[in-house]
Amino acid sequence: MCDHHDKLRSNNRDLQSLERQLDRREFFKKTSLGIGAIALSSLLNTEKVWSAVDPFADQQNSLNSFAKNKLGLPHHLPKAKRIVYLFQSGGPSQLDLFDYKPKLKDMFGQDLPDSIRAGQRLTGMSADQTAFPIAASTLNFKQYGESRAWVSDAMPYLSEVVDDLCFIKGMHTDAINHDPAITFFQTGSQQPGRPSIGSWISYGLGSDNNNLPTFISLVSKNGSGQPLYSRLWGNGFLPTEHQGVQFRSGKDPVLYLGDPENYDGNDRRQMLDYLKKLNGIAYDAYGDPEINARIAQYEMAYRMQTSVPEVTDTSDEPDYIFDMYGPDSRNPGTYAANCLMARKLLEKDVKFVQLYHQGWDQHGNCPGGVKHQSKNTDQGTAALIKDLKQRGMLEDTLVVWGGEFGRTVYSQGQLTDTNYGRDHHPKAFTMFMAGAGVKPGFTYGETDDFGYNIIKDPVHTHDFQATLLHLFGIDHERLTYKHQGRRFRLTDVHGDVVKDILS
Amino acid sequence: MDSSVPDFVLFLGRFHPLVVHLPIGFLFFAFILELYGRWNKNPTLSMAISLALFGGAISALGASVLGYMLSLSGDYDKSMLDTHFWFGIATTLITFFAWAIRSGKLNIAKLNGLKSNMAALTLVVVLVSVTGHYGGNLTHGSDYLVKYAPFGRTEKLVLPPIANLEEAAVYDYLVNPILETKCTSCHNSSKKKGGLSFQDTIAIKKGGKNGEAYIAGDVTKSEMIRRVMLDPHDEDYMPPEGKTPLTEEEKSILAFWIDKGNANFKVKLADLETPEEIASIASTMLGLEDATGKSGIPLPKVQAVSVEVLKDIEDTGFKLRELIFESGLYELVLPPQSITSKNSSELEMKLEKLIPIKDNIIWLSLKDNYVQDKHLKTISQFVNLQKLVIEKNPITDAGIGEIEANESITGLNLYQTKITALSFENFIKMKGLKRVYAWGTAITKEEVDRFATNENSPAIILGM
Repeated sequence: MCDHHDKLRSNNRDLQSLERQLDRREFFKKTSLGIGAIALSSLLNTEKVWSAVDPFADQQNSLNSFAKNKLGLPHHLPKAKRIVYLFQSGGPSQLDLFDYKPKLKDMFGQDLPDSIRAGQRLTGMSADQTAFPIAASTLNFKQYGESRAWVSDAMPYLSEVVDDLCFIKGMHTDAINHDPAITFFQTGSQQPGRPSIGSWISYGLGSDNNNLPTFISLVSKNGSGQPLYSRLWGNGFLPTEHQGVQFRSGKDPVLYLGDPENYDGNDRRQMLDYLKKLNGIAYDAYGDPEINARIAQYEMAYRMQTSVPEVTDTSDEPDYIFDMYGPDSRNPGTYAANCLMARKLLEKDVKFVQLYHQGWDQHGNCPGGVKHQSKNTDQGTAALIKDLKQRGMLEDTLVVWGGEFGRTVYSQGQLTDTNYGRDHHPKAFTMFMAGAGVKPGFTYGETDDFGYNIIKDPVHTHDFQATLLHLFGIDHERLTYKHQGRRFRLTDVHGDVVKDILS
Repeated sequence: MDSSVPDFVLFLGRFHPLVVHLPIGFLFFAFILELYGRWNKNPTLSMAISLALFGGAISALGASVLGYMLSLSGDYDKSMLDTHFWFGIATTLITFFAWAIRSGKLNIAKLNGLKSNMAALTLVVVLVSVTGHYGGNLTHGSDYLVKYAPFGRTEKLVLPPIANLEEAAVYDYLVNPILETKCTSCHNSSKKKGGLSFQDTIAIKKGGKNGEAYIAGDVTKSEMIRRVMLDPHDEDYMPPEGKTPLTEEEKSILAFWIDKGNANFKVKLADLETPEEIASIASTMLGLEDATGKSGIPLPKVQAVSVEVLKDIEDTGFKLRELIFESGLYELVLPPQSITSKNSSELEMKLEKLIPIKDNIIWLSLKDNYVQDKHLKTISQFVNLQKLVIEKNPITDAGIGEIEANESITGLNLYQTKITALSFENFIKMKGLKRVYAWGTAITKEEVDRFATNENSPAIILGM
């Protein structure tokens, strides 16, 4: 295979006709090596060689072509066309935001009954505490909207849109520490290496806008805390073009997209065409589908040179829009600015926009921390929902808000009248969804008086993922990818669609 | 009907369908030789004819014996079996007779001569055909032969289409179709494997050799459920190897009918507490929308669209996406600003291209494409449209008037159009309409609030 350069063809017509002749030696080489190459590459990556998607066809094209999606998708009529997932990294305290537990006030400082904890494992941070004093939230809760949903005064803006929200109060997950928990939420496995939700959706449904990536992630700069890794929007074993593309905060959202100094970019198209040809030759020789992914990415980057500056430019947004999203929205890279950016991307039919906001890890100073985090996120979240709604986009856009787990009812560390900390709690927490296909102004599930255990309608992480795919017209049990001899899916062997929250 | 028939006899009996083809071949060939010999005036074939007749007679005898052995299994309808049985015997006897005449073993003066030869041969061929036909009926069912015949086809009982799940009679709409596709090829009135027939409700109630097929209200004691739930390698597993097994969904429907429906043949879904899972399976089976609630909206059944037509539409500038795999239902998007005030005349032509697939369009977006009132007249023909996005276009109330008769649109995006509260009247006329997005129009909050007091009025969504 070292002599693949002899595939380079001459531009001279006479020479070309000579090259086309297949002599005996060439014939044997082609047949024997060809079969060998197929055998080898099928050993290395079976799925890609015999992939359902023709590797020779332009990936984007074949997935979207009217001539049948080769994966047989969508399985049923979708409700959602696109999604914005507002990931609140760190584990927001449901007890200080949405899951109002008035009875805790009378139990303030009492030890959490063993019957409630029932020997549940705790993190190393609070497991050796001698007492588990109950910390009622010091924030004030009120009911809002026609749906009478409880929201604490940490989120005044969100309380205005509760009638568009569908709260899931019985969320629970398997992991108790940040990294496995967030990886679990985003990829369906606590171990790194699986594709993220956005990659699955990109793989399954393809793109609606060929000039922008199907899956874009934004990390806000005004939150800090547990680190986030690019594998959270990684493609795992799926073809590389389904990887999420991170738009960075600041003036250069995608690195190296601009032309270098002193280069006018005039001959770029020509350069790319030649590069494509070279890569095509390499693909002919090696048959590695990653080469095709690389070709597709060069082309995408070329298109993004015009599409990205256009979509990230918020200068033509009117003042009242900035005012709605809050003062932060004028500061690129903040959560509010990312929310506004998310709307612009969704308007351009980017299918999956994933926001991350760090810092929801209130082991100490929980009331202050929650208020601080809310201050940075509340107005942006609420404005995004309002903005999508008034543009009619909530009709087919799904909004998801949530973290990787919840927080404990007992105080981690010292409990005082005004201050407490809360440790990780995977057994019950709150998320909310809004928009395409979910019931507005609805609350699903219930926790006990301590907010510790779910007493009605639990929703596991896998159930949530199954429901999310369902809204996109995908049966989570049938979107699979064979890798290393096994068919994988987002929900592994679990997950039930939560039909009760579907509108 | 005696279950004490030795296995070995039944084993041999199963060779009947194989061996039975030998006499058919021999005898037809004898007949052909006879005709050929006469036409060709070639008497040398005479010997071959008597050999073929002899072979036919011997193999017919063998086939009859094997057939008798097979009949001992008791899997076949008695009266139909009798007919086949006696025709078989008759064929064998007449064949021997014909052979005897032909070969001169039977020397009756009156019977000598070509005429009697021909008569005997013709009789043999007729008998073989009749016997074969009845045999085929036994194996495949009496409606097998003419099921797809172009003539005299009795229309199958067609169930009236239903609009929502609740109306569906569990047995007629769900259970019976499963039995018909997966069970009745072996369990019908003529071929009762194991003595069981699913031909009609009376037969089903009767059960088979091993007793009742089901016990109403008790899935665990129901034989038919036990059989389909077994490990596929189990000897008792149904359907047997080589036939298409029941899917998990079909199994749950059967179990649901026996358990919750008490195996009642009349019960409707509305009468039962239907779990979400069953509702979902049922609506998929009935072609209603995948159940997201108690009753799905039925999706239109449409013709598939040819690739050429799709390609043509795509070349016009539309982006196409099939909304459900192989459903023929499409989402169409004309990218914003494909049409502006400068080339506005092209839009009419582009929309005309959609007429051939007007029933296939479920979602349509023409956002920001200089759509005017007259264009909505074309769109009014899209009778299956559910979502229509025509925001940022110079559309007025007159345009909404064009689509007032539409009953399928649920979501209508009119953000930044020129409509006013005068369109409210037309919104009410659009029966399916649930949500109208009207931010950035002349419509005010007060007008919306007043409109909201009307009964059945869609929600008008404004902005900040």
